[in-house]
Amino acid sequence: MRVAVIGAGLGGLLTAALLSEKGYEVEVFEKLPFFGGRFTNFNYKGYEITTGALHMIPHGSKGPLAKLLKKAGAKIEIVDSKPNGTALYRGEEIVVNRKSFPLKSRLMFGFYYLKNLFREVKLSEVESRLDDFSAKFLRAFLGWSLSVTPSQVTFSEVYPIYEATYEFGGPGIPVGGCKSVINALIEVIKSNDCKLERNTVRAIRKENFGLSVHFYRRESKKFEVVISDIGPIETCRLTELKLPELSESRGIKYSIALEEPLIDHTSVMFTLETRRICGINQVTNADPNLGKKHFLMAHQPMITSNVKFEIAEGLRDLKEILKGYKYELLAIQSFSDGWPVNRAKIGCDCKNETSIKGLYLVGDGAKGDDIEVDGIALGVERVVKKIEKEVVL
Amino acid sequence: MIVITERCVGCAICMLVCPAEAIRVEGKAEVNIEKCESCKKCLIYCPINAVSWVE
Repeated sequence: MRVAVIGAGLGGLLTAALLSEKGYEVEVFEKLPFFGGRFTNFNYKGYEITTGALHMIPHGSKGPLAKLLKKAGAKIEIVDSKPNGTALYRGEEIVVNRKSFPLKSRLMFGFYYLKNLFREVKLSEVESRLDDFSAKFLRAFLGWSLSVTPSQVTFSEVYPIYEATYEFGGPGIPVGGCKSVINALIEVIKSNDCKLERNTVRAIRKENFGLSVHFYRRESKKFEVVISDIGPIETCRLTELKLPELSESRGIKYSIALEEPLIDHTSVMFTLETRRICGINQVTNADPNLGKKHFLMAHQPMITSNVKFEIAEGLRDLKEILKGYKYELLAIQSFSDGWPVNRAKIGCDCKNETSIKGLYLVGDGAKGDDIEVDGIALGVERVVKKIEKEVVL
Repeated sequence: MIVITERCVGCAICMLVCPAEAIRVEGKAEVNIEKCESCKKCLIYCPINAVSWVE
């Protein structure tokens, strides 16, 4: 059974590793000169700066991604966050747990849960009924994890994240950063005698025997199954599939080197009273090798489409938060269009199966019911199960 | 000469891989032509083909 994986992002490599473990003959094709897509890092001035993601797995060592990495035999150490998160509110850093939210707001949340069973509830409606702290926390949490504002999402789209957090717990940081996850997966794929090749695909075509993949730099090849990790839009371009209606999420990430520490734990500090910045984590607290000195990652969603303005607002926030600290801004990275935060905004994800038999979508345009890389893992899990069930070795 | 086109989204991967530290990014990438060593690494690493080479 021959499987082609197009795109060596986290979703593609995770699928490839899992299938190669099961004995499928897998080949991975990547157009860029590096593996990992938006989930890897480069050393820049002594700091491990990522190509997109935060050095973070939303549900840590007990979540869906960690489970699949273990299943694939990828050796990764994940440092779970302690506490689950904190909030910078009125000049103070508060540990966030259930009790941080006033009873009235917790009851309101329950009320909207019931309401949402009967009609669609915009989260902005919920926000307007919460106390100041809870409302601001909701806004910061959505901006940090999904790069959206409450008016862009509904209760039912976000509720599964709340459930997943309850079930699996808070975030974790992989030792070595995103790249260590990618390298561990590549090791699994190679140890199973499967290949990774740098090549650009120009078309995928339906044939009598399965699918043929056409390249720019060599002759075409036949496969029974093709996994696409290049996003729904690019996948449609390579096939005759109709383009789904999609909306992406956009954001800006700041990498900052610090002389003295700002945060004394390994979790996210959500910033509640800012213009744009939603949260910061000091990743060197979990793995000192991620930076020469203390290394902060801050994130904001793009509220307007004016990137320069959005960055100016974010920088004003950072100046206030880091007042009195000696710091160096290492990188400002904006993510949109061809290299977005999420190819599909929460609630817009495509199905993993396509109308072409044998062609599946993975990655962040086809996530399961969870956020970021844990959502990607759920999508991958679904595809692997499907292939195992339908296609005999 | 390296030219950054309108497609650039500002992901800064070019800046991270540039051996000459000739690229600055704030919303969009800008190349300092004086520092640029014409190695074309930015062109090869750009994930969305936003970098081009003009003779």
